[in-house]
Parts: sequence; structure tokens; C-alpha cells
Amino acid sequence: MTAVLRADGLTKRYGRRVALAGCTLALPPGRVVGLVGPNGAGKTTLLQIAAGIQRPSSGAIEVLGGRPAARADQLARVGFVAQNTPTYAHLTVGAHLHLGRHMNPRWDTDVAAERVRRLRLDPQQKAGKLSAGQRAQLALTLAMAKRPDLLILDEPVASLDPLARREFLQSLMEFIADHRASVVLSSHLVSDLERVCDYLVILVASRVRVAGDVDELLSTHFRLTGPRQDAATLPAGVRIIEQSHTDRQSSFIVHTTEPPPDDAWSVEKLGLEDLVLAYMANDTASEEQR
Amino acid sequence: MIWLTWRQFRAQTWFAAAWTGLLCVVLVFFGFQIADLYNGSGAADCVTDCETVIGNFRQQIASGVIPGAVSLATAVMYLTPALIGAFWGAPLVARELEAGTHLLAWNQSVTRTRWLTTKLAFIGGTAVAVMAALSLAGQWFARYIDSVQMDRIQPVVFGSRGIVPVAYAIFALAVGVAAGVLIRRTVPAMAVTLTVYTTAIVVMPVWIRAHLLPLTTTVRPLDTENLYGLMLNTTTADIRVLGNEDVPGAWIVGNETVTPAGLRFAGPANLQYCDGGASGRCVDWLATLNLRQSLTYQPAEHFWPLQIVESGIFVGLAAVLAGICLYQVRRRLA
Repeated sequence: MTAVLRADGLTKRYGRRVALAGCTLALPPGRVVGLVGPNGAGKTTLLQIAAGIQRPSSGAIEVLGGRPAARADQLARVGFVAQNTPTYAHLTVGAHLHLGRHMNPRWDTDVAAERVRRLRLDPQQKAGKLSAGQRAQLALTLAMAKRPDLLILDEPVASLDPLARREFLQSLMEFIADHRASVVLSSHLVSDLERVCDYLVILVASRVRVAGDVDELLSTHFRLTGPRQDAATLPAGVRIIEQSHTDRQSSFIVHTTEPPPDDAWSVEKLGLEDLVLAYMANDTASEEQR
Repeated sequence: MIWLTWRQFRAQTWFAAAWTGLLCVVLVFFGFQIADLYNGSGAADCVTDCETVIGNFRQQIASGVIPGAVSLATAVMYLTPALIGAFWGAPLVARELEAGTHLLAWNQSVTRTRWLTTKLAFIGGTAVAVMAALSLAGQWFARYIDSVQMDRIQPVVFGSRGIVPVAYAIFALAVGVAAGVLIRRTVPAMAVTLTVYTTAIVVMPVWIRAHLLPLTTTVRPLDTENLYGLMLNTTTADIRVLGNEDVPGAWIVGNETVTPAGLRFAGPANLQYCDGGASGRCVDWLATLNLRQSLTYQPAEHFWPLQIVESGIFVGLAAVLAGICLYQVRRRLA
């Protein structure tokens, strides 16, 4: 299977600031990929390059086998909901649907109409008068009704209240179930991604730290706790992500395919949130290979 | 794409229609008044003493509301392109960038090249239609005035007649869009647009226009009976003499009085005749010097060639700016 998104040494500089440094990725198709990382890690840059809004300074990117936004048919296959879900404030909801219908050959009028009806959006209402949640839903509707093969969402729920957040993610999951599209969405909150994603990319300080299947990540990361000892005592093939020591106790978060015997250690599986936090908190220790 | 362009530009189109319609009505209204004056003066079918008849008409159009209407017609031709540049051009891309809506627009199944070219074509077409209508109305309004004043090649009038106003509008629009694309903020882009447009339409007549086509130079005996000017310094005996600039319909850019030897004439004046008092004796003395007058000008028949060349320059500049905008929107903006 070919990757929906393949990046090779993708780098983006704004003047002297590096937003994305040598990002190499291959995202499998048919997945819901969560892109997670702290603010300023380069998530927006990566997603905007994938959507063809920005161009990389160097490196290569291929989305659905083509160069992003190179041609109209490439644009038709990628749906993009930008951060803060921009819409035309002075245009009505209905005008936005018109816009989508006129500008997208694959536009699905039924999907759009059905969503607007169920979300109880008034077609006569100006988008500028919508609540943040409604606006996000409108932007999502536009992206969905294009019937994209890949849907990219940049922090779609960041500005939403918990209820709107849940409704938005609900909509997204329904779409994924109905259309079998690949999805990439970013967030700086793991809890948003946990329920919808089955693949995770962690971006820290403009570099990709980890990319992998969520189940696989969860089954290969452990927290080892035991009496105070040096990292050198850990078995071979174990990669330390994070470590902390008190006078009497040592605690390691490690990556390993073979869970260590739990006679010397207390071995715990990690939750997704702890896993992500470990990578975010410590972006140098993981370089050490053991 | 056409739908979105139309939908986003609908209000401006109505405003343009209202503005153009209103001004055309005003111009036509005064155009009829001027026509009545012209026909009433008998200038239309004069056979004898036409000088006096036309002189009367000149006096009539110099009084009442007509001079105001003439100024309005000229101002509209220069102002409308500025408004088009500032209010249509500058916000075109800048406002999308400010509101972030470019992120929505650029993810529809329309390439950015088509997105921008459609907008430029639509709004450019509207601008051309507006200016063409205004220019035609202005031309019709001023047709009798132009026929007696014969000054349409003169700097200020030239820019408000023919096809040049249309070229100004295209140029101003392109400046506006480019400023918006490069500055990315609407209000500063509007200010830059107005500055660049104003500079361009001042620089063109002051330094460039006269040299767009070869100038005609005529050297003829100085007609001392009809001097245009005479300046005398009774202390140094320096004297400056300007001959009459009576080339019909021409734009005089140089008027020099030269000696029979071909040198610029600057005196010294014979203070016996030229003493600062009555100039009659001084003029008689000048007549004995066999002075010649060298006139440099763009002749009346260069009006349309100059219009075409100047329009070509501004449309060419607009094309370059549009190219920059397309490049920026396709490759550099984010």
C-alpha cells in the first residue's frame, strides 16, 4: 500500500527560524493519524505544506502520490480545515455551500445539506454570526462535502468548548466510518486524539520524534520502577525515553519490543497521554540508544 | 470560481454601476447645456467673423456652473482609478490573508493561479468598463469645449481623455493588488497604492510624456507684433523675449528666442529704447534685430499616438505587477 503522505527530509524555514527540520514520514492509508506536539512544534507548518498552502524550503513531500495543490484534481482529493476554521464572515452558510458546489467537481450536495440540517445551521445566517463550534462544523462540512481521499484538520477543536468539541469529533468519526477517507488531525491535547486516532505522530521542536500505530506504541512502551539504580543496568534493546530518580527509587519510561522480566522491576504499561508527555518532556534523552 | 468572485465582488459591482451611472448622467446633463450654448452662439454654422463667435462661446463656458462641471469631469477621470486601486485592488488578496480565508479559498478544487486570474480578469474587466464609460461620457461632455480650446494634448486634459484613463485604472488596480500581496495588510496597501498611483500620474506628464514621441521643432522669424512675454532688467540690460505659442492644438514644451546666428537671445537690450516704460519702442527695436523663434512641441496629430504609447506603458506595468502577484500567490504566500 502506498502512503497517503510521504515526506522526505522536509524542512521549512521562515528567515532564520526553522519551523520544520528534516521531517521524514510515511503515513499509511485508511488511518486516522493524530499529529501531536507542543505549541510551536511545527504541526501547522507540516499540515499546511501537506495541504499545499505553503511550500517546503527543502525536502520532498508527496500527498496521495502527487505534489500538494499542484493541480485542481490534486486539490479535489485533499480536504483541509485550517486552524481557527476560517470562513467568510459576510457570506451566509448557504453561500458557503454554494461556494463549495461551484468550486469542487466532486462536491456532494446531499452530504452538505444533510449535515447543515442535522447541525441545525440556518442557511440564511452569516458565517460571522456563528458560534466558534458552528463555524468549525461549517468548515468541516465544506471539507467533507468535497469527498476528499485525505482530510487534514489543523487543531480543529482547539478553540471549542467541551460540548462543541465532542460534537465535532463525533461528526468526524461518522465521516470516517461512512467514507473510508484517510484523516490527519493535529492537536496539542492528547485527550482529543485518543478517542479518534489509530496512528500517532509526535512532533517536538520541529522534528518527528515518533510515528506509529497507536496499539503498537502502547504495547512497546513501559514504565519501569525499582530501587535506585543506574540506567546501565537496563537490559539491552531498551531505549530510555525518560528517567527520574529519587534517593531510593528509579523510574524509567522505555521503548522495547520485549517487555523486561518483572522480577527486578515493577513493569507498567503506559497510557497514550503519559507516552506522549514522556516524548514531549524529554527530547534529548531518547537519542541515547541502549 | 466565477461564482465566488461575483459573490465577493457583488457589492462593489453595484457601487461601481451607481457611481458610473450617476456621473454619466451629470456629464450628459452638462454636455447638453454646453451643446445648447455652442449652437446658440452660432459657432456651429458660422461663416464670417468666427473668431468673435467662438470668443463669445469661450466667455459663456467660462462663467456659471460650466467651469465647475469641467473641473468635476477632469477630477473624476483621475480620482476613479485611485479609488479602484485602493478599494478594489489593495483588499483583493490582503483581506483574505488578514482574515485567514485564503486557507479556505486555496483548498477548493481550483488552483491558486486560476483563483487569482479569475479575480483579476473579473475586477479588471469591471474597472475597464467603468473607466471606458466615464471616458466616453467625459469626451462627449467636452466635445465642443475641446473643439474650441484645442487643448486636449495639454498635460491635465490629456490624462482625462481617450484611452489613457482606462490604462490608469488598470495600472492602479494592479498596483493595489500587488501592494496587498506584498504588504499583506489592507490599510497600508491602500496607502501605498494611492502614493504610487499619484506619483506615476505626476511623473508621466512632467518628465516622460513629452519624450514618448519625437518632438517637432520649428524655427521661424519672431513675430514681434504678438509677443507672449517680455522681461527686462533695466540695470543689467538683460532681456528675455518669448514669442507667441500659436501652434493650434499643440503641446508646446520649448519656446526660445534666438539670434540670426542661432544663439539664444538674452540681450543686451538697448536701454535707449527699452527703459522699462512703454514697450512699443522696445518692440520696434527688437523688430530690427531679425530675431527668430524656436518652438519645440508635440503637434496636435500626436494626440492619439501619444495616447496609445502612454496607455501601452501603463498596461505593460500592470501586466508586470500582475505577474508578480501570480508568482507570489503561487509560490511564496502562506
